[in-house]
Amino acid sequence: MGRYVLRRLAGAVPLVVGIATLIFFLVHLAPGSPVDLIIGPGVTREFRTQMIETYGWDLPLPVQYVKWLSAMLTGDFGYSFSQTRPVRDVLLGYLPNTVVLSLAALTVAFFFGIVLGTVQAIRQYSLLDSGLSVVLLFFYSMPSFWLALMLILTMSLTLGWFPVSGTVSTDHEFLGLGARIVDRARHLALPTLSLALVLTAGIARYMRASMLEVVRQDYVRTAHAKGLPERVVVFKHALRNALIPVVTLVGLYLPFLFSGTVFIETIFAWPGMGRAIVNAIGQRDYPLVMAGSFFFAMMVVLANLLADILYAVVDPRIRYE
Amino acid sequence: MSDRVLSAALPGLPQLLSRRWGTGGMALLTWLGMVSILVSRRDGVLSALAGPWEEKLAVATVVVGLVASWAWSWRDLRRARHEHLAGFSQWDLAVRAFSKNRTAVAGLITIIGLYLIALVTPLIAPHAPNVQYDLVGQRFLPPGGEFPLGTDHFARDILSRLLYGARISLTIGFVAVGISVTIGTLVGAIAGYFGGIVDGALMRLVDMVISFPRLVLLITVIAAFDASIFLIVAVLGLTLWPGTARIVRGEVLSLREREFVQAADALGYPKRRIIFRHLVPNVLAPVIVAATLGIGNTIVLEAGLSYLGLGVQPPTASWGQMVASGKDNLLDAWWLSTFPGLAIVFTVLSFNLVGDGLRDALDPKLRT
Amino acid sequence: MTSHSSRTVARFAVVLVLSAVSTACGGGGGGPRPVPDVAFCQEVMPKVEAYVARARAENPTPDDPRYGGTAVVGTIGEMADGMNVAVSSDYSARQHQQFVNLMTLIDYDESVAPRPYLAESWEVAEDNSSVTFHLRRDVYWHDGEQTDAHDVAFTYTTVTNPETAFPNAAFWNHYVEGEAGVEIIDDFTVRIGMEPHSEFLDPFSSVAILPEHLLGDVPSAELREHPYGMQCPVGNGPFVFWSHSPQERWVFEANPGFPQALGGRPFLDRYVYRIVPDPTTLLAELLTQNIDVYVTPPPDQAQRIIDDPNVDLRRFPFRNYVMVGWNARRPQLADARVRRAITMGTDRESIVQALLQGYGTVADGSVPPFHWAYDPDVEGLSYDPEGARALLEEAGWADRDGDGVREDANGDLLSISIKYNTGNQQRQDIAEIMQAQLSEVGIDVVPQVVDWATLLQQINTPDLRDFDGVVIAWVAEFRLDDLDLFHSERIDQPFAWSGTRNPEMDRLLVELGRTVDRSEARSLWSEYQKVLIEEQPYTFFYFPDRLDGVSRRLQGVEMDARGEWVNVKDWYLDPASR
Repeated sequence: MGRYVLRRLAGAVPLVVGIATLIFFLVHLAPGSPVDLIIGPGVTREFRTQMIETYGWDLPLPVQYVKWLSAMLTGDFGYSFSQTRPVRDVLLGYLPNTVVLSLAALTVAFFFGIVLGTVQAIRQYSLLDSGLSVVLLFFYSMPSFWLALMLILTMSLTLGWFPVSGTVSTDHEFLGLGARIVDRARHLALPTLSLALVLTAGIARYMRASMLEVVRQDYVRTAHAKGLPERVVVFKHALRNALIPVVTLVGLYLPFLFSGTVFIETIFAWPGMGRAIVNAIGQRDYPLVMAGSFFFAMMVVLANLLADILYAVVDPRIRYE
Repeated sequence: MSDRVLSAALPGLPQLLSRRWGTGGMALLTWLGMVSILVSRRDGVLSALAGPWEEKLAVATVVVGLVASWAWSWRDLRRARHEHLAGFSQWDLAVRAFSKNRTAVAGLITIIGLYLIALVTPLIAPHAPNVQYDLVGQRFLPPGGEFPLGTDHFARDILSRLLYGARISLTIGFVAVGISVTIGTLVGAIAGYFGGIVDGALMRLVDMVISFPRLVLLITVIAAFDASIFLIVAVLGLTLWPGTARIVRGEVLSLREREFVQAADALGYPKRRIIFRHLVPNVLAPVIVAATLGIGNTIVLEAGLSYLGLGVQPPTASWGQMVASGKDNLLDAWWLSTFPGLAIVFTVLSFNLVGDGLRDALDPKLRT
Repeated sequence: MTSHSSRTVARFAVVLVLSAVSTACGGGGGGPRPVPDVAFCQEVMPKVEAYVARARAENPTPDDPRYGGTAVVGTIGEMADGMNVAVSSDYSARQHQQFVNLMTLIDYDESVAPRPYLAESWEVAEDNSSVTFHLRRDVYWHDGEQTDAHDVAFTYTTVTNPETAFPNAAFWNHYVEGEAGVEIIDDFTVRIGMEPHSEFLDPFSSVAILPEHLLGDVPSAELREHPYGMQCPVGNGPFVFWSHSPQERWVFEANPGFPQALGGRPFLDRYVYRIVPDPTTLLAELLTQNIDVYVTPPPDQAQRIIDDPNVDLRRFPFRNYVMVGWNARRPQLADARVRRAITMGTDRESIVQALLQGYGTVADGSVPPFHWAYDPDVEGLSYDPEGARALLEEAGWADRDGDGVREDANGDLLSISIKYNTGNQQRQDIAEIMQAQLSEVGIDVVPQVVDWATLLQQINTPDLRDFDGVVIAWVAEFRLDDLDLFHSERIDQPFAWSGTRNPEMDRLLVELGRTVDRSEARSLWSEYQKVLIEEQPYTFFYFPDRLDGVSRRLQGVEMDARGEWVNVKDWYLDPASR
């Protein structure tokens, strides 16, 4: 087992370097330089050129690449000039927001996805099954920014149940600890819901298929034959094993969460990594874009690795070769 | 015999009478739709025959639609009669399983209907999609009257833009998925069949593309080149393939050990032939499923790109771009983004229902 | 074993969420300000804390119900470079430097006449070659140091130093730049050298003064990256910086030590600048009373704001104009007649009605209608498709092959691409409308969207200029100066987008810069406006009115061409609403 994990980790190293390379050249593909975003009238062309040289934006790409990669290897992510802080600080600033939102969404989505998927599988081809499919897919089929706006218009503007946007209220600092947690949770509700609603359909669909497969296995039939009550069969025998493939979905959904959060973060004014990176692309803040993309790619690699290992752990049928 | 008479009069009617709603409804609706176009747009049809190719295509669609609904209903009756004589192929079984799934059939009918509508749009759209009517007096007109779904901020007819937008959105989904499925199947089949170093290298590439934040990729590429429909389609197609590649590789890995492939190998068939003649056809089922779901995803993704201002460029209408440009008016002119939004939802929903239905139907393990 | 593992995963996830929730809200209830983990901030912020505490003790809040409460302003974007006067060009950031956190030497009253602010008086040398400022002696930096002449001299040398790359370098066209241009006469008197020119006080109303004792040792080229601007600015204005969460919000608190003579501390206890990137979300925030000011809603949202009983729509003329800049280096646009025909073929009046819902004025030049230099009698080009066709024929463009698009004698099509930047609806709309309207006079327009940074590079790089037309906006200062835009000697500089050469225009631009007397300048400006219309380097579209949604519970708000934040220190919350 330990050797399996090590082997997988070692296999990820070239992948990581490959991703870093891809990111570097791709990010530099976009033309335009940060200089034009900062200068104004009266700045001469000579000065413009000089500034490009000072920041090293005129160096040949391979040179910049080697510089960047060697800095990265020593843990130096560079300096974000659009935020006038080291990239490390920028990422650390946004990270908690993104993590909170993603974990909340994943938790909610997996909970509902598993429950609804199980219900659908048990009642395959019933009205409930197709009804749930259609309702879940309905949310899944909406452009996420539109779903988010609809939620704001109904839940906040019309019903007034949740705050419109932001991570906390303006008077957050003056609240007691309990009230502060409630305040946070209320602000978290709508962005979480917008993300989770989209994810739930996929998880439920997966769960349903997995459950249907398991239900046809011999040991489940045996359990039925033994005369065990339906509830016991479903929850004790079938559900446990049906959950195995669903675990791997965590890895598959992380990249989705990233592209999904960009819209959600924008609509809900949630200062997270997705928005930060998209803004940074607009500003040609290369160090920030590269570090941010690299970070997300790492999350995906790690999550996939974790999913594989988890899979190996929970499914005794898989050997570690 | 009476069935045939009924079917000649109104295609689909006999099927409806024998309570096969899907088959019958589709044939009947297509027929009725085409006839009503012919009747209500007589002059349009005549002038369209002399018009540009898209109008000719629309007329051709009407004619083909009419003939096809008759022919299909007819053939279906014959098949129904001879059914008991032949055995069931895997394919027949899948079709049966699929048609038992009511939501999936409804989805399929919606999709076919959408493509038909997209094709005949020049004949049925009440206005030209990009004509700006009175900018001062006719913008933001609510639904009703001359403009059934209202007008947008340029006083353009939303219904017409919705109809023309269907062509763009459906085409984008179709072409992008076509590209990604082709690449994905090839890469997956090659990786799975050859194994070893080829497999390792290709799969690392797949891992890289999957791990890379797609939105960053899309934004930078679209910023690097001039945004155009072709670019968007190409970029979408070129980023969506790894999923398909993984599925195909998995299937091929297990197919490789099967007798018929081993036999082909032993007979010394060229590798190209083995891949294209023996492996690819056998992995098509999961690929088709992935493709159906992919079309839906692509349409939603294009809407997302439009929100960031990177989607299809105006004045060309796409649903995504209509939703995105109307979303700032949600509070005062809801019809701008609601109608295209619903169009997206129902289209993508239909594709997903069909995809789910296909998956259930094609996977013998899930069949009851 | 299976179920055990998955249950653990679920529990783990829940714990993580909860812990992230609680760590993210550390800090005491309204307690000390959060200090960024940067040496500069660690050193300076405790001093600010101490200063505020001391000033609060010395200046008890007057007994008036208007004092207290928090007002929130919501806008689409972050204040780029924050309070860093030396490098910032962002409109909101500069407003906050002028009116919120820092102080300018002078400011403008409602009629845009200069009045004392940090400088309590000034005098101009007989020959207009220098201006001497006498500073107030009761202004303190928020860390307790006094603001004096050294700060002014430091700021002046910094912003005029090319190494700083001060974005509005055109400000200093007529001043003696660098150390030679500034003389400290005593601790509270400073003299600045210049050549005689018009409106010479204007830069001092918009460039705020920076603290020399904190930034004096920083090399000019490194100021851009200094934590002062975005992480811990120390100002001397009516509001003290409290905290900044990037892309989320800035929080300021009342400065209890603000000079009594200038009105003392602001009414508000706290002032929050929130960043909400989506306009629909912002509108919802305003309508649910979570923000008090919605800065520049798009005109299409105006009616919804007017209809709501709890908010008002403020409207005032402003200094920016939207235009399509033409690249006269392109053969099809080299002829001024073609450029005039394009303008005549575009129905700008109905565009203002349609796109701006009437909240704006058609522009015929760069002088805003409310400005003293504006001559209402100069007649612009009006919508005249017939005239446009005639002009095009005259210039040699005719539809020779009957395809609806004109060609010249060589058969080259009169086809123009118009670029605009990603994500700007109004500019996209303009390109789209021009495409529709100009096809009527036989011009083929291709709208083209380009990412903002790419677009700037394409239009600003002197050797590239990869555009035919570009939809863009320009914010003028109160001192108008188009030298960098239109003078033929600057044709190779970044901002000479149009690249037109017109000797008459050159002469006027130079003379206008030097004319000190307003009445003398007026007739020159009038001439200049006529030349602009004749030359049409741009198709000027409109001066949009500036719109702001303001909650009724926020009172005393004045907004005009000087900006949204001009009297932020006099804003107060309706006591009944708190």
